[in-house]
Amino acid sequence: MRPPKTGRGGGGSGGGRGLARGGVVSSTRGRESGRGRGPGRVKGRESEPGSGIKGGSKVLVTPHRHAGVFVAKSKADALVTKNLVPGEIIYNEKRIFVQNEDRSTVEYRVWNPHRSKLADAITTGVDNIWIKPGVKVLYLGASSGYTVSHISDIVGPEGCVYAVEHSHICGKVLMNMAEKRTNVIPIIEDARDPAKYRMLVGMVDVIFSDVAQPDQAKILSLNASYFLKSGGHFMISIKANSIDSTIAAETVYQMEVEKLQMEELRPTEILHLDSCEEKHACVFGGYRLPRKQKADSAV
Amino acid sequence: MAMFLLSESSSGYLLLEVHGLDEIGQNTEAVRSSVSDLSRFGRVVQLIAFHPYQSALDALNQINAVSEGYMSDELRSFVELNLPKVKEGKKPKFSLGVSEPKIGSCIFEATKIPCQSNEFVHELLRGVRQHFDRFIKDLKPGDLEKAQLGLAHSYSRAKVKFNVNRVDNMVIQAIFLLDTLDKDINSFAMRVREWYSWHFPELVKIVNDNYLYARVSKIIVDKSKLSEEHVPMLTEILGDEDKAREVVEAGKASMGQDLSPVDLINVQSFAQRVMDLADYRKKLYDYLVTKMSDIAPNLASLIGEMVGARLISHAGSLTNLAKCPSSTLQILGAEKALFRALKTRGNTPKYGLIFHSSFISRASAKNKGRIARFLANKCSIASRIDCFSDSSTTAFGEKLREQVEERLDFYDKGVAPRKNVDVMKEVMENLEKKDEGEKTVEASEKQKKRKTEEKEKEEEKSKKKKKKSKAVEGEELTTENGHSKKKKKKKTKSQDDE
Repeated sequence: MRPPKTGRGGGGSGGGRGLARGGVVSSTRGRESGRGRGPGRVKGRESEPGSGIKGGSKVLVTPHRHAGVFVAKSKADALVTKNLVPGEIIYNEKRIFVQNEDRSTVEYRVWNPHRSKLADAITTGVDNIWIKPGVKVLYLGASSGYTVSHISDIVGPEGCVYAVEHSHICGKVLMNMAEKRTNVIPIIEDARDPAKYRMLVGMVDVIFSDVAQPDQAKILSLNASYFLKSGGHFMISIKANSIDSTIAAETVYQMEVEKLQMEELRPTEILHLDSCEEKHACVFGGYRLPRKQKADSAV
Repeated sequence: MAMFLLSESSSGYLLLEVHGLDEIGQNTEAVRSSVSDLSRFGRVVQLIAFHPYQSALDALNQINAVSEGYMSDELRSFVELNLPKVKEGKKPKFSLGVSEPKIGSCIFEATKIPCQSNEFVHELLRGVRQHFDRFIKDLKPGDLEKAQLGLAHSYSRAKVKFNVNRVDNMVIQAIFLLDTLDKDINSFAMRVREWYSWHFPELVKIVNDNYLYARVSKIIVDKSKLSEEHVPMLTEILGDEDKAREVVEAGKASMGQDLSPVDLINVQSFAQRVMDLADYRKKLYDYLVTKMSDIAPNLASLIGEMVGARLISHAGSLTNLAKCPSSTLQILGAEKALFRALKTRGNTPKYGLIFHSSFISRASAKNKGRIARFLANKCSIASRIDCFSDSSTTAFGEKLREQVEERLDFYDKGVAPRKNVDVMKEVMENLEKKDEGEKTVEASEKQKKRKTEEKEKEEEKSKKKKKKSKAVEGEELTTENGHSKKKKKKKTKSQDDE
């Protein structure tokens, strides 16, 4: 076993949650952190050793331009979301604890852009992710629930996330996660057939699609026609190789965009995610946007 | 032409009526604008009936039926009850809009109500979904989400074949409780000894065991009433007649003070509690053993239930235990020593919780580390089989245990152990043989069933022949006969093959 970077007992590879939880809990409290200075700024303390942020160093947490997302600044910056279920971690991510003026602690979880396309899009600099506290999100291709957990942090208790995942193995992990977070509704079903789970989903404001299937444009449009409200928005992540690996990536993106436009899903932004993945792009857009206010809606 | 809509939701079925929107001559834009505007939509579409599900189980049945596209009985009765009656022979003057054609055709077959599911219906159903909370006035804002959450969880659990008996959480909780119980019983038992010693101090030295002490004190109650009659009872508990006599003797010459009846009653009830707790601990242990054999039979047969349960609870879950490498399993429980050694560059510990299994104590001091590593490897294999395999047998665990024994022999005497490949092959062959044995039993039972079914079918066919009278079906009869003869031939052939 490799020795951990700092001497704390939380870096072991095995043991899973039991070990990690023990390590984190033992290292909290103890030291005074600074008081809040400006609006919304509070100084925090990193709990575990991690990429760039050493254990015990002073960390500044500020709100991001997108509502519900925060940035933790120290030697290296990290994207964080506020933990909906304090004390619980999903997959051994790092946590940041911040003390407020009234001595209560706020817990933030670090969001890794290498594991989540949405975090990648935010760090690349997307204009608008359309997810904020209180919205309802339909997530197609939820997998084990990594990004879903962060979205559930952002939308908070008033919003909800419908997570659709077809695979049973990932589905079990997703269901375990959903038992702790009551705003995640797990649906183990094929996203190609929204009629099958139409009883479980209400009308949503945003659809996120990360299914990596060749007919993903059709999947998105079918789900949108069932569940996405008029004037709602979508994000679809396109992996060029899973659509057609023989033609150039740019061509693939164009083809997908055209397919979406035919189904009234109008793209407003196309973002190339080159920092963490290659041949990936994210398309953001709106559904049945009213034509008259085109100038206003394309924010 | 009246039009109705059927909408399925997590709380129940809705039936709505569409007024004032004619299908022909309406383009989708106009439909959409009326859908999105709540007040206009409210005038266009009105609720006729709402049928909430009776229970969570009922809701699950409904969603299973709906997702497959079938019509359940409740849906059928709901629709028939609330829509105008379809008269025989006459074409109905209304139609029912549904989300997908499959369930539409099912409804049409059963109730003769014509269904349609086109763009128009789709738009209207979107509107219903959007303005759902306006239709059902009783529901509070969060209720629909709660219903969806509960239904989604039960539906998804059914999909991944969630097996309640194989939940490892029970074992983790049970082992924690066992440890807590041990501590508590110990401290209570000490308290009983101290308390009763006020009255009868000599008993503490004679009876050493806590549980026996509590029982003895319950029988003796007041030492002044101790006499020869109590000797058989005491012998029964203590198991030794000499000790029983010793107790009676000590009781007569005791220097402890007398206790009032009320005090004695209190001590007795406390002693009773301690005994009950000890009995419960035994039952809990049995429960733990049963649970371990349910969820991790191989691990339990390899290193025992207690150690296995401790490993699972330390790792957090059986899946976590299966995922970690065997070197981690070896030192699970000795993290403090491990990281201290890593920091100071000393020697890392050789074993953690695994130490408490019987194998390590049987190895000589030189070989303890080697056996610990070997045992950890086998435990990893066992836990992975338990976690990911569908069947639940102890065959692998027993063979792995044999392997560890062989390895111990090797260190003692130099007897070469078998290779793992061979041992595992043996296990697989044994399992296959068992399966085949079961299959032949099943096959012979199936043959018997088929013979009885064939006889029944022949009887039915002869009855049908009598009922039928039309010429067309007469022709079918002859072809049926030909077919039935062919079928018989096929069946006899397949039976011969088997």
